[in-house]
Amino acid sequence: MMPMAVSTFRVFLLLTSFPGIGEHVVRLVKGALVWWSGKKIAVIGPTASGKDSFLARLKNQEIPEVHSNSPMGEKIRSFDVKLALSNRQVLDITCKGVINIGGETDYRDAPSGWLSVCKDADVIFYMMTVDDLSRKRFLKGRRIRQDLDWLLTALPHLKQGALIHILINKIDEQIESHTDYRAFAEQLAQELRALDRTVRNVLHPYEARYTGATLISMRDKQIYTRAINIVLRSVYSAFHQTAKRRKAG
Amino acid sequence: MRAWWILPNREQKDDIFASDGKTVLPLRQILDPKLRPDGFSHGVPTEILEKCGPKAFAQILFAQRFPGWNGNQQLFSVSTPAGMDSSGRVVHLGLLFVLEPRERPGFKMPFGGLGKEDQAYAKALVDRMTKSGPGDGWAQSVRELSELPSSPAVRSGRP
Repeated sequence: MMPMAVSTFRVFLLLTSFPGIGEHVVRLVKGALVWWSGKKIAVIGPTASGKDSFLARLKNQEIPEVHSNSPMGEKIRSFDVKLALSNRQVLDITCKGVINIGGETDYRDAPSGWLSVCKDADVIFYMMTVDDLSRKRFLKGRRIRQDLDWLLTALPHLKQGALIHILINKIDEQIESHTDYRAFAEQLAQELRALDRTVRNVLHPYEARYTGATLISMRDKQIYTRAINIVLRSVYSAFHQTAKRRKAG
Repeated sequence: MRAWWILPNREQKDDIFASDGKTVLPLRQILDPKLRPDGFSHGVPTEILEKCGPKAFAQILFAQRFPGWNGNQQLFSVSTPAGMDSSGRVVHLGLLFVLEPRERPGFKMPFGGLGKEDQAYAKALVDRMTKSGPGDGWAQSVRELSELPSSPAVRSGRP
């Protein structure tokens, strides 16, 4: 168990400063604010990865105690989000609410499933958990890998230039169950590198659309706020670098 | 008529499972996800749950009918909330029918092979569909939907 004196958030900060875990990202400059404004996002991922909780957080609502396992076929709702950043900046994002889409593979593969949710999105957030990472569910034949294969087949049908970012949820639970944070950080860094390699290989030739993976917690508000700032910067940074490369090429 | 229970995903598995009342298998082996009609729902839509509120969950029945599916067959389903999974999500139990053009669903489905928790919800659903009178508006609307002449996809979600 974690010593009481060390908060989960402080450990999260330590973890994200570890090489291979922390992301080197640009400051959220004015250009990023303009870029994010009005973007449409979609949220997909396996069952119980935290999609509904993420949408609740985006809507600045408490995580619902009771929610549905989201049968498909419902009208997808849109809602506007004001994201407060740490430096008092506010981002307006149009979120494509996918609160009613389930994570079972049945929803992924059906006509009114994930594709209908993702097709107009500028940024697709794929949600998984740290447990999925530790159990290497991104290896061939396993659930995360199947979803990545699905993304590859879906990409030609998505909005041109749509970006994909992976959110790795429930880091708070893992922090609370570890005591040797250095060993945990090393293990995480190794697993994140393996995930990164897999995603880039699977998404080829669209690997430039992948903007990275971020550890996050929907339950811990401090971690969420910190992580979502990293996400916004990372996605914009990846977009900016790709645009620069394209210009230079 | 071919019929299956669509089972609640209480253990948050990657697939939805179905049963003919005896054996359990992934729903995708019965009905390929790619062949499911646009708008097909595996349970009660969240909007209905939100509108009715938790106290009314036990009353809710949501049905869909898709005539002209897969050639000239029909797809008919009726779902009800069936408790919660480990993380507090409402899960659903459904009955799925693949019917010939003029066939009507028969709701007397065996449920002895289902899990104990599912059996209670299955029994309640079968009883309501086979024994309840016009006072049960939800069940009545499902029966009416099942008896309508074939026309484009229709749904019933309210009494």
